[in-house]
Amino acid sequence: MNILSTVARRLLQLVGVMAGVAVVTFLLLRLAPGDPARLLAGDRASAETIAAIRHQYGLDLPLWQQFFVYIENLLGGDIGRSLRFQQPVADLIQRFMWPTLFLTGYVVCLAVPVTMVLAIASARRPGGLADQAIRLLGTVGLAVPVFWLGIMLSRLFGVTLGWFPVSGYGNGFADHLHHLFLPALSTAIWVVPVLTQSLRAALIDRAGADFVTAARAQGAGEREIFWKTVLPNAVLPTLNLLGVMVAFLIGGAIIVETVYAVPGLGSLMIGALLGRDYYVVQGLTLVFAFATVLVTLAVDLLTALIDPRVRL
Amino acid sequence: MMNSGTRLRFGAALLALGLASGIGAASPAWAADVIRIVSPYQTTTLDPMRSAAAGNIETYGQLYSRLLRRNADTGALEPGLAEKWDISADGLTYTFHLRDAQFSDGSPISADDVVFSLERIHSDKKSAYPAPLGALDTVSAADAKTVVVKLKSPFAPFLGNVEIWNMGIVSKADVDKRGEDAFVKEPLTSGPYAVKEWKPNEKLVLEPNKHYWREGYPKSDATVELMEIASPETRQAMLTAGEVDVMRAVPWAQIDALKKVDTIDMRLEPSTTIYMTLLSEKREPFSNMKARQAAAYAIDNKALTKAITRGYATPANTTLPGSIEFHDNDYPGIPYDPAKAKELLAESGMAGKEVKILATADAAAQQMALLLQAQWQAIGFKPVIVNVDGGAWWDATGKGDYDAAANWWYNETPDPDLAVRWAVCGTCGSNSYNTFYENPKVDELVEEGTKEADPAKRAAIYKEIQKITTEEVAQIPLYYAPNAVAYSKRLQGIKLTPSLQWTLEDTTIAK
Repeated sequence: MNILSTVARRLLQLVGVMAGVAVVTFLLLRLAPGDPARLLAGDRASAETIAAIRHQYGLDLPLWQQFFVYIENLLGGDIGRSLRFQQPVADLIQRFMWPTLFLTGYVVCLAVPVTMVLAIASARRPGGLADQAIRLLGTVGLAVPVFWLGIMLSRLFGVTLGWFPVSGYGNGFADHLHHLFLPALSTAIWVVPVLTQSLRAALIDRAGADFVTAARAQGAGEREIFWKTVLPNAVLPTLNLLGVMVAFLIGGAIIVETVYAVPGLGSLMIGALLGRDYYVVQGLTLVFAFATVLVTLAVDLLTALIDPRVRL
Repeated sequence: MMNSGTRLRFGAALLALGLASGIGAASPAWAADVIRIVSPYQTTTLDPMRSAAAGNIETYGQLYSRLLRRNADTGALEPGLAEKWDISADGLTYTFHLRDAQFSDGSPISADDVVFSLERIHSDKKSAYPAPLGALDTVSAADAKTVVVKLKSPFAPFLGNVEIWNMGIVSKADVDKRGEDAFVKEPLTSGPYAVKEWKPNEKLVLEPNKHYWREGYPKSDATVELMEIASPETRQAMLTAGEVDVMRAVPWAQIDALKKVDTIDMRLEPSTTIYMTLLSEKREPFSNMKARQAAAYAIDNKALTKAITRGYATPANTTLPGSIEFHDNDYPGIPYDPAKAKELLAESGMAGKEVKILATADAAAQQMALLLQAQWQAIGFKPVIVNVDGGAWWDATGKGDYDAAANWWYNETPDPDLAVRWAVCGTCGSNSYNTFYENPKVDELVEEGTKEADPAKRAAIYKEIQKITTEEVAQIPLYYAPNAVAYSKRLQGIKLTPSLQWTLEDTTIAK
């Protein structure tokens, strides 16, 4: 019942978020300098050629008219055609979506178990040697720029040692795992410290909570207290943080995708932005907004599963 | 260290899991025979008429044959789809006799297709570069295998101009039937390759065209992948890791490292590329000729060339590319003379004026902007660098809304006609490459240059154009850059010609 209302509320929010994103992206793109027709036709094209292309794609219409056409198409389920490639935006996004989703899932699979191990090891004796070492490594992981780390890892494991490919997505599941390992690792190296810090703090905080003292007074063993009381209580804020990161990765893996030449949404976005491919950028921002709302919903549902209070 | 170690093991375990469970077949790093080329320049359209952008130019040559072709070794013009041709005594009528050739679906290439293709380039509103056919009056089919072109006036570079990248012959029947879609999915091609698969924003996969008119070509039956990778570090990693065979646009800073790799042939190939800086004459300070000359005398382009290209390029001496015909090698150019620059600047009354330098993000553009800024600062300008992306760059330069902008361009033919029309002609539609430089005397010479058939007289005309435009500083020439391309040694017979065309049909793979 309550879960249903959560879902309904989110879906309602979704409509508002998408509408807002559609308006803002449309305006930002049109107001930025740069002309898709010029970038399409190239240096040598004359002013008449540019004008003819603008006319063909309706870019010469008044802004409000372009906007209404766009919204009308959007409501009809058509997110437009790429100005650069003359192909439906939906096809492009669908083609570039899988590597990004795979990479995001890969990062989660790499990061979550490691985070659990590190945070628990760290929180067991706060200020102890293990804790100090883990926190130091975490700071290093956070401080290293992703593009630099990416280039270094690809030089070492790709070029020098030849263990992993330095580019692309591969064919088939095992090949995807192989190709995306370095990109996923590069990303996990900054994701893990953030998650670990959050989980460690929550673990330390919950370990001193009243309900832990109560459980101890009832004669529960330390192991049982940790797994049944402390951990479930501590994991919630980190789960929310993970949700934010997953949403961020779906839309923001631009650097990693560029360094490792992964044909994902990030590289599509960069190309579309530089080429002023309006409908592709607009389509992508809508997809990112949609993904963010969806991930948040999933986190809420998971939270409800873990924490009965939320279900009340 | 411990951090990444843990994750490494975990990754390896995951990997083993994937392999053991046998989900999906892992393909070997080297699938049968594929030639892979990485370039930062994207293919955005397969229609040879629609774009003059670098990535598309390189692609067109693989897909479409033209009436004439250029010998990759000698650079001489040779028969292409036209087996032979006659030129009338007055130089106004060109008659092309077509050979028996077919499109990639086996349908014959007729005179109608040639007429249709040339007319599109000449008069379609969306044609990106009609200038090479500027002298064309009419084009018609005398019979199924004969095309007659009539010119408005004698035009010396005409044969060379029908060999340019956008002059590819397309199928009239197919374009009539499918419209724009004819170039989105499986276009009918007349060149050495056909499209196997196009993944826009990622790569274009080509396979040999079975109906290509040059028998025995492409020499290799390998498929070709033209891959688009923006980051030069990634391109270099892919090449050295053996994932690709050819790396286009090697940055100067990476050349020495690639030269040391055994399996790689790092080449500096001749080009008609010139790096220069535009100066906008739409507004002060550079609407003033003395201010432009001051800016030119302030630039030590020998030192600049050495600093940016590490000595791999030649300092430029005129406004035209160094390797085109009739380039004046003996012209001294504008020497570095800061004292004279200060004097000229004082005379111009533009001292202390702000100079807005546009710069895009790539390394060469940033370095040029910084060095221009430092040297102009030294003589008393107030230069500021404005960072923009390519879209904003074209927007601003097209309107003359800038003061200086360093960039490069190249000439598609050895003949200088298109170069002067592009770079220094005020009445040819290019606004002298967005500088808005205009000198009626130069415009006159440009027209004379094409009507004159005698090479000695043409040489004199182009010498004069170079002298005037360099002295009046239509642009500041910086350096003539070779094409820096790195090749895997397993490929033979491949190169990038000065017209920016890959010789893929001549390429073989060493076993």
